[in-house]
Amino acid sequence: MLDVAGVSLTVDGAEHFDHRFAAGEITVVLGANHAGKTDLCRLIAGLHTCARGEIRLDDSDLDGLKPQQRSVSLVYQAFVNYPNLTVAENIASPLRARRMTAAARRNRVNQLATMLQIADLLERYPHELSGGQQQRLAIARALAKDARALLLDEPLVNLDFKLREALEYELRDLLRSTDTVVIYTSSDPRDAFALGDQVLLLEGGRKVQAGTPIEVYRRPINFVAMELLAEPCINRFTRAGKTCALRPEHVTVGGDVDAANMIRFDMSVTACETNGDDSFIHGRVDECDWVVRSYGMQEVRAGSLLSLYARTADVVSF
Amino acid sequence: MNRSSSRWVLATYVVYLLLPLYWLLSMAVSSNADIAGDFSVLPRSPTLANFAEIFSNPVWYQAFGNSLTYVAINSIISLTVAIPAAYAFSRYRFLGDKQLFFWLLTNRMAPPAVFLLPFFQLYSAIGLFDTPFAVALAHCLFTVPLSVWILEGFFSGVPRELDEMAKIDGHSFLYFFFRVFLPINRGAIGVTLFFCFMFSWVELLLARTLSGSTAKPIAVVMTRTVSASGMDWGVLAAAGVLTVLPGALVVWFVRKHLAKGFALGRVS
Repeated sequence: MLDVAGVSLTVDGAEHFDHRFAAGEITVVLGANHAGKTDLCRLIAGLHTCARGEIRLDDSDLDGLKPQQRSVSLVYQAFVNYPNLTVAENIASPLRARRMTAAARRNRVNQLATMLQIADLLERYPHELSGGQQQRLAIARALAKDARALLLDEPLVNLDFKLREALEYELRDLLRSTDTVVIYTSSDPRDAFALGDQVLLLEGGRKVQAGTPIEVYRRPINFVAMELLAEPCINRFTRAGKTCALRPEHVTVGGDVDAANMIRFDMSVTACETNGDDSFIHGRVDECDWVVRSYGMQEVRAGSLLSLYARTADVVSF
Repeated sequence: MNRSSSRWVLATYVVYLLLPLYWLLSMAVSSNADIAGDFSVLPRSPTLANFAEIFSNPVWYQAFGNSLTYVAINSIISLTVAIPAAYAFSRYRFLGDKQLFFWLLTNRMAPPAVFLLPFFQLYSAIGLFDTPFAVALAHCLFTVPLSVWILEGFFSGVPRELDEMAKIDGHSFLYFFFRVFLPINRGAIGVTLFFCFMFSWVELLLARTLSGSTAKPIAVVMTRTVSASGMDWGVLAAAGVLTVLPGALVVWFVRKHLAKGFALGRVS
């Protein structure tokens, strides 16, 4: 269990941040850039010093401990490995620091390398590996430390899309089987659903909401929380004097017009993009920018008018 | 310009560059009589007698020894001082760091002659005059700032995350510095060594003034080779060849990193 209390994640120190991370669970910390995700990781790892507040790991105070003395390991967003050491020596680095014997070290290195599927690369140097392999190596080294808290700071951001998905599912199985506190930061809501036992939403150094991903998705406490879990963003509109919002996946193009529990919107399309699976139709509804996610490759010309439908049950307002 | 004409231009330029070197080599393997005789592109009767003279005459080989001694002392002092300094400049922010860093470079802007008299007076007073240390320490005034500048550029190119990762892995700073950081920067240290070496090896003014008869460097001996029989051209040329060699050797070892070194490490 990792207890963060009263620390500040912003430069001016105006905001307080408290959260309790449970052991044996993956907590996905979701937030935009500069929301304080990296700062949170660096504070826990001891790379930044807390101006105030305290961080406790399994009831021992981490304050005043050097990074070397904390049972915390960290994987960076950039692929950071020792360039002058081979893959095997890289993984063995934390073990060497703990003065483990050579034989035990070799066993552990082989075990970790097999787990992360880099066992046949042990004699290579990091610059001879692909990006995905380099990050696997960094993760293997972080796991080698056997720390009670494992921090992954947007580890898969610099990888291409396919590699990312493959590694994501692997990571989930790998990390769930341990009894450590796992903190995985990301700006992509998909990571929260794919990996997270818990999700923690951050904005401007403040905790917005925390809970299981489904819970937070179903019952966001405000628009910020809703926005953070929306892909790509939420659609706002005014209804009966109240600001309401709809997730892009809850808006459909066409549909059962006559049903009583449906609302109709008229959107003038400004752009349409597709990522292969889904199409994102951008447009304006009553002076608000909207994005609608629609399955498959759609071609909608800019300037055309679309009728959109949404179930009243999906409308969120506060 | 087409390929063949650009090749011609290049070839002409290379010949132009290498001609003096070739002439030096040609003189070094000729006798004085041949040198003073008729013009000839190839040495008439090649001989190694000039080199033999250098390796057998203590005035010559001791001069080489003296030069190498103070160059080595200078390089060692410069690196041991500059490596920690460059690391500090690249990793920490402290009060006046930028000013201090710039001030280091301004040392390079003063001509060595300015420091001639103070050094001479100081070293005479404390008994350092005419020792290799005198020249080595005097050269440090120029090589240390240069080394700090070059190394800082290279060190700043190493991501700071690496330092942090070593900490998180549980390594002490010294372990990280000597087992990870310095090995990564092998090339940078080689380049810096090259610049220290080159400065100290070819510098004449301070070396001549701060050495008497016992620590006389090669550059000085070469300017004093008028013997009773007149100028000994062949031996002088042979000494010149031997003076060029160490530099060429060092260049060979650091050639990959040299361009970056000339940009003070600030090219990535």
